[in-house]
Amino acid sequence: MGEMIRFYGRFLTGLILALVAFWFCALILMPQISMIQRAFHYEARDGAAAQAVLEANRLQQRVATMEFDIRALEREVAAGGAGAAPAAPSPSNPFAGLPSPGAPRPGFAPSPGGAAAEAPEARLERLKTEREGLTASIAGARAEAQRLRAEEVAAQGWSLRNFTLMSPLHWRIFGLTLVYALCVTVLSFLVCYPIAYAAAQAKTPRRTALLLLALTIPYALNELLRIFAWTMILANQGLLNQTLDALGIIDLSQGGAVRWLASNGSVFLVMVYTYMLFMVFPIYGSLETLDRNQIEAAKDLGASSWRIHWRVALPHARPGVAVGAIMTFMLAVGSLSVPQLVGPGLHPDWFSQIVNRNFFESNNWNVGSAQALLLLVSCTIFIFLVMRIFRVGIREIAR
Amino acid sequence: MSAQTKAPADWSGVILKAYVALFLGFMFLPILLMAGAAFNANPTPSALDWRGFTTDWFTGRTDEAGRVLVRGLPQETRFLQGLKHSILIALGVIAISVPLGLAGALLLTRLGGRATGPLYTALVSPLLTPGIVLGVSTMIFWRDAFGVQAGLFTAMLAQSCFIASYCMLMFMARLQRQDRSLEEAALDLGASGFFAFRRVTLPYLAPTIVAASAIAFLQSNENYNTTFFAIGSSWTLVTEIGARMRFGVSPTINAIGVIFILLTVVFAALWAFSLRKKTA
Repeated sequence: MGEMIRFYGRFLTGLILALVAFWFCALILMPQISMIQRAFHYEARDGAAAQAVLEANRLQQRVATMEFDIRALEREVAAGGAGAAPAAPSPSNPFAGLPSPGAPRPGFAPSPGGAAAEAPEARLERLKTEREGLTASIAGARAEAQRLRAEEVAAQGWSLRNFTLMSPLHWRIFGLTLVYALCVTVLSFLVCYPIAYAAAQAKTPRRTALLLLALTIPYALNELLRIFAWTMILANQGLLNQTLDALGIIDLSQGGAVRWLASNGSVFLVMVYTYMLFMVFPIYGSLETLDRNQIEAAKDLGASSWRIHWRVALPHARPGVAVGAIMTFMLAVGSLSVPQLVGPGLHPDWFSQIVNRNFFESNNWNVGSAQALLLLVSCTIFIFLVMRIFRVGIREIAR
Repeated sequence: MSAQTKAPADWSGVILKAYVALFLGFMFLPILLMAGAAFNANPTPSALDWRGFTTDWFTGRTDEAGRVLVRGLPQETRFLQGLKHSILIALGVIAISVPLGLAGALLLTRLGGRATGPLYTALVSPLLTPGIVLGVSTMIFWRDAFGVQAGLFTAMLAQSCFIASYCMLMFMARLQRQDRSLEEAALDLGASGFFAFRRVTLPYLAPTIVAASAIAFLQSNENYNTTFFAIGSSWTLVTEIGARMRFGVSPTINAIGVIFILLTVVFAALWAFSLRKKTA
């Protein structure tokens, strides 16, 4: 610290510290804390209490309609004589002759035929006793709702419920998504390693530059356009099916189109394509420093090219592979765009789609936070695992 | 290369070459197809079902009365509005993340001692965090703490969080190659720390500031996952393309792609040209 002040003076040092503090606190730490807070904060929604309140309200409404009927009947009785009044609505209440509003319920709703069969006085009596019973049960329902609510309030606050109440299906999807992301990472490595090797060990710097340029140009398009280009190939009438049709393997006119979209294979393929650079460049970066003489020496000593890769090139590429794996896994596990856009109708969903739904469709932020936290934790664990397996430090990872 | 191992080495070389060719096809085919469909009169984006050459998807077509016959880019006002939002956010991201990245890099290269390790880990951690988490956490924090609804502002902050890490790594790479004796000399000659920084370090870092701004701009415009979660009901060009892909595609998306490709080629050419001029 003393050296910094000597170098930059008090003002500049203060400014640097303030900026870094702002970055760390306001952009990195505090948002994570808020998310973690929500993740461990249970919020009762659509629970038993909410349903009990709904039930009580429904009863209340029934009583209200019943009272409406009772008043109409009373007027009818007061007007004297059955049969004439129901057909002619009284001026004070034009709806008196109509069936009561709301869905008629058996037992009290006057269907036209039933009303004629029953004397108004008798019906009035029946309705009144029913009303008594209902009013009593409303009180019971309200008490029950309050009790449930109190229970839920007690359960609210700090708890693990956002995790424990997550459905088994969602846990399964979470597990599957991790497996899928791992598959994407491995596939991406298999596809990218030879390219990185070719670029790093190219005969002339010019060829290296050309190859790297060719790799970068597709990345000038943004991620979504790259995905879009692939959906054009994989669509039912897309290039792939048309080619198969031309080769006579399938018959498009007979509806023999293969449904490539909305399958995990397509999602893997497009992910590998979309996030390829994050694998190629780190591996290239570490292979670039590999002295070609080492490979020549291995060759001269009679090593097969498989053995050269396994014993010379790959060990040298270790830090690059680690970085590539970490980046690809992180991008794949949290990718919303690819599963969302390549696989509308994909089943089961990827976990990111479930997080998305909790935030923007069912508006259940706390559960969504818990799920986002799961993603974060799994990425962190993955990073540590890769660092252990590949024996690299954090300095080598973020370069 | 010795004679007895020549044959197998050549074989693997041939395989590698074939693989590279295949790979380049894999890289470019989708893009060529996409570009082709931008000029196809077919309203479903396709490069194969050819219905005649047209530039309508770029220009739109209206009859004399001004009624829209073909909805091209000028009619797609949400795309244009989204582009404005994207540029606005990108400028904000540059303004936030370049100073933050620079401050982080200066602190880490000059601080020394035991604190650097954890601090370094903390400041690069956004790069290793899934975008979805960055977007969600930023949205939650600003709403819970300050009542700020998700929008362009939160999207800007969520992006700056990890783009600043990119900038920091770029600045650190440059600072590590700096000859410290120049700064020392300035200080020995009586310059204040601030003056030495402004006249020695900052000019040395100038190319990196330009490069970091460019990277920040590109990263910001390209980002989907983080932005999607942090932007709320607003939209950028990219999130709008995403929305359009889910609910009815149109070759105007291809037209945007072609424009992106052209811009890239132009900028790459300009950049290469400026490099050549410098070395010549």
